[in-house]
Amino acid sequence: MAIATNFWIWIAALLTLAIYSFLYKDNPFYKFAEYLLVGISIGYGISVYWHNTIITKVYNPLVYDKNFLVLIPLLLGLLMFSRFFKNVSYLSRIPIAFVVGAGTGLSVPSSFEFLFKQVYATMPLKLDFGSLIIVVGVISTLVYFFFSLEHKGFVGRVSRVGITFIMVAFGAAFGYTIMARVSLFIGRIQFLLSDWLGIIK
Amino acid sequence: MKFINFISNLDKRWIYLILALCIIIPFLFPVGFPMKTTPPVKSIYDFIEDSIPEGGVVLIGADYDPSTMAELHPMAKVIAAHALSNNLRVLFVTLYPQGAGMAQDAIDNVLKEWNKSNPENQKQLGKDITLLAYVPGVSAVVLKMGEDITQTFNEDGYGNKLSELEVMKGIKNYNDINLMVELAGSSVVLTWLIYANGRYGLKMGIGTTAVSAAEYYSYLQSKQAIGMLGGLKGAAEYEHLLDKKNVYGGRKDASIGMDAQSSAHIFFIILIILGNIAYFVKKRKEGK
Amino acid sequence: MLKRTLLLIVFLILSISLFSENDSLIFLENQTPFEGFAITGKDIPNDGGGGIEIEWSFPDSLDNFFLTVLRKDEAGNNSIVATDLLVSSKQVRDVSSEEDPSRVKDGTKYYYTGILSKKMVDEDFLNMLISKENGYSKNGIYIFNNDTFYVTAETDAIISKASWFNLSRIPVVISLILISFVFLYYLNLAKSGKELYIRKINGLDAVEEAVGRSTEMGKPIMYILGIGYVTDIPTIAGLTILSRVSKKVAEYETKILVPSYDPVVMTTAQEVVKEAFTEAGRPDLYNKNDIMYITQDQFGYAAGVDGMMMREKPGAVFLQGLFFAESLILAETGHSIGAIQISGTTETAQLPFFVAACDYTLIGEEMMAASVYLQKEPMMLGSIAAEDLLKVFIMVLIIVGFVLSIFAYGFNIGIFKNLFDLLARALQV
Repeated sequence: MAIATNFWIWIAALLTLAIYSFLYKDNPFYKFAEYLLVGISIGYGISVYWHNTIITKVYNPLVYDKNFLVLIPLLLGLLMFSRFFKNVSYLSRIPIAFVVGAGTGLSVPSSFEFLFKQVYATMPLKLDFGSLIIVVGVISTLVYFFFSLEHKGFVGRVSRVGITFIMVAFGAAFGYTIMARVSLFIGRIQFLLSDWLGIIK
Repeated sequence: MKFINFISNLDKRWIYLILALCIIIPFLFPVGFPMKTTPPVKSIYDFIEDSIPEGGVVLIGADYDPSTMAELHPMAKVIAAHALSNNLRVLFVTLYPQGAGMAQDAIDNVLKEWNKSNPENQKQLGKDITLLAYVPGVSAVVLKMGEDITQTFNEDGYGNKLSELEVMKGIKNYNDINLMVELAGSSVVLTWLIYANGRYGLKMGIGTTAVSAAEYYSYLQSKQAIGMLGGLKGAAEYEHLLDKKNVYGGRKDASIGMDAQSSAHIFFIILIILGNIAYFVKKRKEGK
Repeated sequence: MLKRTLLLIVFLILSISLFSENDSLIFLENQTPFEGFAITGKDIPNDGGGGIEIEWSFPDSLDNFFLTVLRKDEAGNNSIVATDLLVSSKQVRDVSSEEDPSRVKDGTKYYYTGILSKKMVDEDFLNMLISKENGYSKNGIYIFNNDTFYVTAETDAIISKASWFNLSRIPVVISLILISFVFLYYLNLAKSGKELYIRKINGLDAVEEAVGRSTEMGKPIMYILGIGYVTDIPTIAGLTILSRVSKKVAEYETKILVPSYDPVVMTTAQEVVKEAFTEAGRPDLYNKNDIMYITQDQFGYAAGVDGMMMREKPGAVFLQGLFFAESLILAETGHSIGAIQISGTTETAQLPFFVAACDYTLIGEEMMAASVYLQKEPMMLGSIAAEDLLKVFIMVLIIVGFVLSIFAYGFNIGIFKNLFDLLARALQV
């Protein structure tokens, strides 16, 4: 493999280096790359929204399929813009009420089912040391997040066990986070060494 | 004591430099640390390998963007390639605008590599694999897919009508999807678990960044997900499994990064030990 | 054997005369590949209608055979439900579709037939079977172009219907009612003036110490609300804690800096600080410009706050709100300038960083509880008490499940197994 001849790979590589230059110290190259990223992601988002929402969900059904039911959600959506006008801004509460109401209705039962499944999963189907740790961990952590009782005596001791479990979990999460950050860096180095410089396969 | 002071006052930039070297050198001189596959990865692989009949459908959720691409993109590619190798159909879906670009790149790459290494079993966009168009709404989209997938998206990510695509034949809703693997580093994984798995019983696997892996382990234990790929390591394990089958010649993005990952970890472990020694020695000194 | 052969010949002649245009078709009526060769169908329970589930249970040796399912409606119209399903898949769902009006409709009687074959079903054969003239009223063995197809008898009439209630979710309804009741009960209790106890939150005690020490050193205090919006609950909790902190700041006559990510959060923070200063009797100390807008770009914000920390060298740094990847950048800078740091967030992925780099951390729900502890509003106190009761409920449930499973699986006692299954079924909605 040889050094890349594709113009866009060069752009991507130089931008990557510009961002990493921040590790040495803040500089105009870094700022340029950062602002470019913010601008492009907003622009990209808008174009995708335009095509996939306005065109496919509103324009096409109205113009080609003559589906006028689309007007109802469209009107509700447009009411959101009333927030910009002080004297009619209360109208924006209608679509918000709709979204909040429907959203809560949908999420409450599902959240319960979700909780049930988690509770069920805590109950061991076979008796081993691992299941015991899970039960003790879940209960003592719940006790730690108990606010109506003073943490002293028995409750205090259990909550100390709970916070120990929480800290172990944090340790695991911390390790995983380091791993993730390293992976991201590896992804970029791989790109630079392989796609750009062609040093490795 | 001089050493302790040196450690505590070390300029961060030296650490960055050593870390960069720790990662670049293994790429140039690979060591080949041994690889062990973990059960959560194996169970997704086995499910696709053994439990889905030919012509079955694997849905891959590409809900990531370039910031976590390094970890999740190799997963998208390797799972899609594995599904194609078993003559399954692959649908990509995304709940975020940026995911569409990721999914299209994965599809292009997998199709190209697959067709290169399997000239006798060519795969086609729209017939074996496609991306469902991005539609805003996140949980609303997940719920609507449970009723009717074609109606939710209308089009694929390339502007073709879904009802006319061969890949969509016989697919109405989650009942016709054999497995969904959600690739994301954010809480959107929960949206899929709560609505698609909880409400519609869609069988799910998770592919997530290492940051979130610890959090999602509890959903494996509760069997809400059949398996999980955690971070680059998870992707590398999957590549390793597919590699044994010897059907796909695509680049193993995750596996070649594993040496670098290990050497960086060793470096971090040394740093943590040194940092803690410095901390306790200093504390004792100050206490005196 | 002879009898069979004779029979075959008779049917051969018969079928040739019946379907003279298909001279390669042989039909053996009432012949089945094995005992009990049939498919069954039923309305899909607990659905919105328009769906019928067809099931079959064939011997394992047939797992690699194909099954094609056909449907006949009341008017005698035939259609294909699904072709060439693997027998091992055991079931298929016939569901309605808005694009295809020929599919299942509620209230219509349908009759299903299955075709079992070693090879994929032949299209001509299938077309012949579903054509209205011939129909597939007869079950038995068809040999078409040397391929054998086993056709089941028709199922009984099946009608799909919508269910009013999803009965499998009854446990959800019951818990929902129970929980609403518990919440309302505690809310009423709190409103009626009963003191509801809420424990002290450790990190909060440190607020006074941090502000005091900062004042002694003649340094300002920095309060970072993270990158949430006013609609985010951690941000709201952060604003409540800000009120308490700024009151202390006013009492100690020192300075508080609040760099903000979101303009609305900034305006709210200004109001909160102003009010707290007024309450402490020092409105004169309030300076609007100390609560300033930085930028709405995640790392731009982190860089801006970092720079400010390095310049101002605050003696105490509060990180209370919603934090993401910038958490460690901020907490580490605060640590490096030697400030006392009190942090709090609900983001599990960021908490480890705070725990590592800060002196005190409010973990998850503690943050909400801290804001309730400071405000002591009846509505919020009531909900904390109710939540605690629900936690007890969950704990009891887990312990009961644990004990049951010890007896059921540890000591193998039948009745406990049944009880455990009952509990499991209630939880697995």
